[in-house]
Amino acid sequence: MSEVIPAQATVRQVDPARSSTPRRRPRRLAAGQTLLYAMLISLAIVYIFPFLVQVATSFKTDAEAASSALSLVPQTTTFAAYEALFGRSDYPIWFMNSAIVTVCVTLGRVFFVSLAGYALARLDFRGRGVIFAFVVGVMAVPAVVLLIPKFLVLNQIGMYDSYAGMILPLLVDAAGVFIMKNFFESIPVSVEEQARIDGAGTFRVFWSIVLPMARPALITIIILSFQGSWNELSHFIVSTQSPELTTLTKGVASLASGQLSQGTQYPLKLAAAAIMTIPVAVLFFIFQKRIMNNTEGAVKG
Amino acid sequence: MTRHKSRAMFGAGALAVAGVLVLSGCGGSGFDDSEGSTTEGLTSSEDGLTILIAASGDAEATAVEDTVAAWSEESGVEATVEVASDLNQQLAQGFAAGSPPDLFYLSSDAIAGYADNGSLTAYGDELSNKDDFYPALVENFTYDDEFYCAPKDFSTLGLVINTDLWEAAGLTDADVPTTWDELSDVSETLTTDGQVGLAFGAEYQRVGAFMAQAGGALVDGDTVVADSPENVEALEYVKENLDAGTFAYAADIGAGWGGEAFGQGLAAMVIEGNWIGGAMTADYPDVNYQVAELPAGPSGEGTLQYTNCWGMAADSPNQQASLELVEYLTAADQQLAFSEAFGPMPSVQSAADAWTEANPEDAAFLAGADYAQFLPTQAGTADVVADFNAQLESLATGDPAAILQSVQSNLEASVG
Amino acid sequence: MPNTVTARRAGSRKSSGIRRGEVAAGWLFTAPVILILGLFLLVPVLMAIWVSVSDWQGRGSPFSGNVGFVGLDNYAAVTSGGGLAERNFGLSIRNNAWYVLIVVPLQTALSLFLAVLVNRAILRGRGLFRTAFYFPSVTSSVAITILWLFLFSTTGVVNSFLGWFGVEGPNWFNDPSQIFHNALATIGITGAPEALTSGGPLGVSWFEWIGGPSVAMFAFMLMAIFTTSGTFMLLFIAALQNVGAELGEAGVMDGATGWQRFRYITLPQLRPTLFTVLTLGLIGCWQVFEQIYTGTQGGPAKTTLTPAYLSYQSAFVSQEWGEGSAIAFILFLIIIAFTVFQRWVLRERPVSKRRARQYEVPPHEATPHEITETKR
Repeated sequence: MSEVIPAQATVRQVDPARSSTPRRRPRRLAAGQTLLYAMLISLAIVYIFPFLVQVATSFKTDAEAASSALSLVPQTTTFAAYEALFGRSDYPIWFMNSAIVTVCVTLGRVFFVSLAGYALARLDFRGRGVIFAFVVGVMAVPAVVLLIPKFLVLNQIGMYDSYAGMILPLLVDAAGVFIMKNFFESIPVSVEEQARIDGAGTFRVFWSIVLPMARPALITIIILSFQGSWNELSHFIVSTQSPELTTLTKGVASLASGQLSQGTQYPLKLAAAAIMTIPVAVLFFIFQKRIMNNTEGAVKG
Repeated sequence: MTRHKSRAMFGAGALAVAGVLVLSGCGGSGFDDSEGSTTEGLTSSEDGLTILIAASGDAEATAVEDTVAAWSEESGVEATVEVASDLNQQLAQGFAAGSPPDLFYLSSDAIAGYADNGSLTAYGDELSNKDDFYPALVENFTYDDEFYCAPKDFSTLGLVINTDLWEAAGLTDADVPTTWDELSDVSETLTTDGQVGLAFGAEYQRVGAFMAQAGGALVDGDTVVADSPENVEALEYVKENLDAGTFAYAADIGAGWGGEAFGQGLAAMVIEGNWIGGAMTADYPDVNYQVAELPAGPSGEGTLQYTNCWGMAADSPNQQASLELVEYLTAADQQLAFSEAFGPMPSVQSAADAWTEANPEDAAFLAGADYAQFLPTQAGTADVVADFNAQLESLATGDPAAILQSVQSNLEASVG
Repeated sequence: MPNTVTARRAGSRKSSGIRRGEVAAGWLFTAPVILILGLFLLVPVLMAIWVSVSDWQGRGSPFSGNVGFVGLDNYAAVTSGGGLAERNFGLSIRNNAWYVLIVVPLQTALSLFLAVLVNRAILRGRGLFRTAFYFPSVTSSVAITILWLFLFSTTGVVNSFLGWFGVEGPNWFNDPSQIFHNALATIGITGAPEALTSGGPLGVSWFEWIGGPSVAMFAFMLMAIFTTSGTFMLLFIAALQNVGAELGEAGVMDGATGWQRFRYITLPQLRPTLFTVLTLGLIGCWQVFEQIYTGTQGGPAKTTLTPAYLSYQSAFVSQEWGEGSAIAFILFLIIIAFTVFQRWVLRERPVSKRRARQYEVPPHEATPHEITETKR
């Protein structure tokens, strides 16, 4: 990982314990640590409690959700919300669409982004500076400004309301190109030079020699694009209209605004939101350490 | 190794696919530049139909789906019903993309906008049952002297009373309010801890009934009369009662709409339309209620009337089939069946007697049709009403005259 | 060997055969990125610029012959039209300005606070707390908004909790009253002088401008702070770990208190990160869209309307495509202004030699997009 994030190496060298209160004053340390942990624990409860309530409420009845919002144990446990979601709504379709898009986007992004990152880092060709400037430039365009424009273009080229229109615009991510470029620049060139001398073509060098070395960086890209496309909403709002192309984010948002349902129906909505959180939560816990380090790395470069 | 191979294949494949899509995409055009024809004949083809509806609940969705399926079998034309999660947005996106649904629910305030940019086909005059529709409804869907679309049904607002709470408060049938003063009185009687007397949505679509009862309206013909003293009087009456806590907006007592406040016993009375029947049966079957006409205001009786029509897209390739489907859906028998399933009143006069007979308890809704007002239909008024609604939400702390003044100037900007 | 490589990369070696191969490969390798970014970022922006100066009504192609050029009319309508469009835009700017003004300092302070706390914990507990604080950041804004709607409903978790203390909580997401107006009302001031209630920029009276966010918007602000503090906390933790331990120890020897050490030794070294977090927050907070789309659609009483949502609504719901695009570009300018400001300030900052060696690219480049993309 330290290759992706050059600063990581330095971070690792510093023993964090040393920067905290020194060992010389055990008594103050004890009192201070108790206070510290009291604060940390109460804050952690504030951050985690909402999610516990969410799960608990999804098993309550509508009436109980309204009358005893705080309780973490339903008085009468009901699976009605989940039955309604999977039995009588388009939830399974939404889930499938989100999965299709996320898988395609993640695979495509890993490939395209590393290809471009490699070219920008290693290949010497006229126009490289311009391309790099272009990538940096488009990174500054905020996503919300693109709502209307993206719809116009998808529509003009006949990709509106199709999987292609949902997936293609998400396939490339300028920040990903950036991360890969930085990574490739950090690994020694000698290995590929040897392969070149042995007569391997550029793509072959990239594919069989460089890419396998880039695993840590690729995992970073996978995490970023999985989370990004699974949680994406605005792009799907403007790129689709058919119910059969609705994704989880768009479908659940329509549940939330109550247009499909009567009344508040909190257990149903919270169940819908809880299930859609599971895949990113799983990803988060699997790659927890890496995610944390990545974000640290993000600011470092 | 196999893993590498399959990845390589995927990579190359994705690249190729992207290339093809980009190339073909640049060459093609997603737009159909042809102008919607409103005067020439209807289009006809072998294409199936897509019908976009905004259902008030499962009952309505199922009823429409079943009926369309029956027609499809009979006529041999394929037809799919889609239930919109946000009808306005889906319609707008469909029109802009040149791929709108063939038939769709269309509210009267949306006609002007879509008619102006050529999205709609005016097919009203082609209907074989044209003369059977209530003239007031036909007028509501006539824009620029063209009868655009067939009213699918209609509803009026009534006073829905929870009879158990009513009796518990010691009230009898004789106490059903017929004037504003009586309404304030019974509301006060019915207001207890955790329950208000009367609830309704914070919107012109409900509060406007009081304006009608005071003799006001937003638009009179082509004249904007939003800031009339009658309207001010109506809003002041509502404000007074909101302040007293005997009236409340549904959202302010934690309900999504009037029907929910009513069903959960948060309000003893609500102002709602026929659609409340379906919701009560489905969600709150244990609540007993009756429907009365709204009480009269200073200028007499008044209520609001709602109707949607079956809008037809100018871009639809098979308008002839759509027309036949509309005739099927608006036939008296069919509308009576819909009414039974989810509550609205038939839009054709030939169904009136049968409906009254079948729904004696809903007679108040039909009675309201005699004096009901419509929402303004001019282009741009939907946005003004939305803004008015936003201001009505803070009516309790706002100044009625100032609110109406701003509605006046906003309406003048779009109507004038 | 490494020497030749360096030389080649610097472009001084003239080996035409390899170079020709590299030109082709270079363009081929970057082609998908260029095509997709061009087609879905550059072209769309150009198209939308045209729409923002046209009278296109949302039917047929915006490039067809019957769509006219109207100059800056759409921009004028939202900034000086005197009508509904101007007032809506004014309200959205007011709402979002308050959002930025309150969320940015609070999320920065909270994330720094969390980082300091976590950084002081001994190693084992650290990961656990870091996870707890960061978790809200990985969930989608749709899911979080739904959770928030429930937490802040009339009988929801927050109001139940307040009930323990005898406080009757507001009906958060349905309460359009502005918080400073409410504060004034508690001391008996419910109105304002004529000078404040009549007239003001963008069709919104001065009294409405200074009233602060509505209770509903305030609930969204809490949500933003809740979801972003974890991400920013990680940035601060990374920075804290780079702060020289020797400096801290020196402070201890001098008898400085914990607060003094933090204030005079640690904080100055965190300045670059602090500044990054502040500007990232500024940029992100101007892009409030998904929460509004999912939760309130601009209500109650338009107090959660934001420029991003208004732009969407004008185009996709009200069919005012020109005005919607114009609003989007005005928002674009606002955000660009903050981005340029950020880059300008960061460029002025002296970069240590060690850092300069490590990155060919300035460190801030990669961040804005990643973070604004994940969460606001």
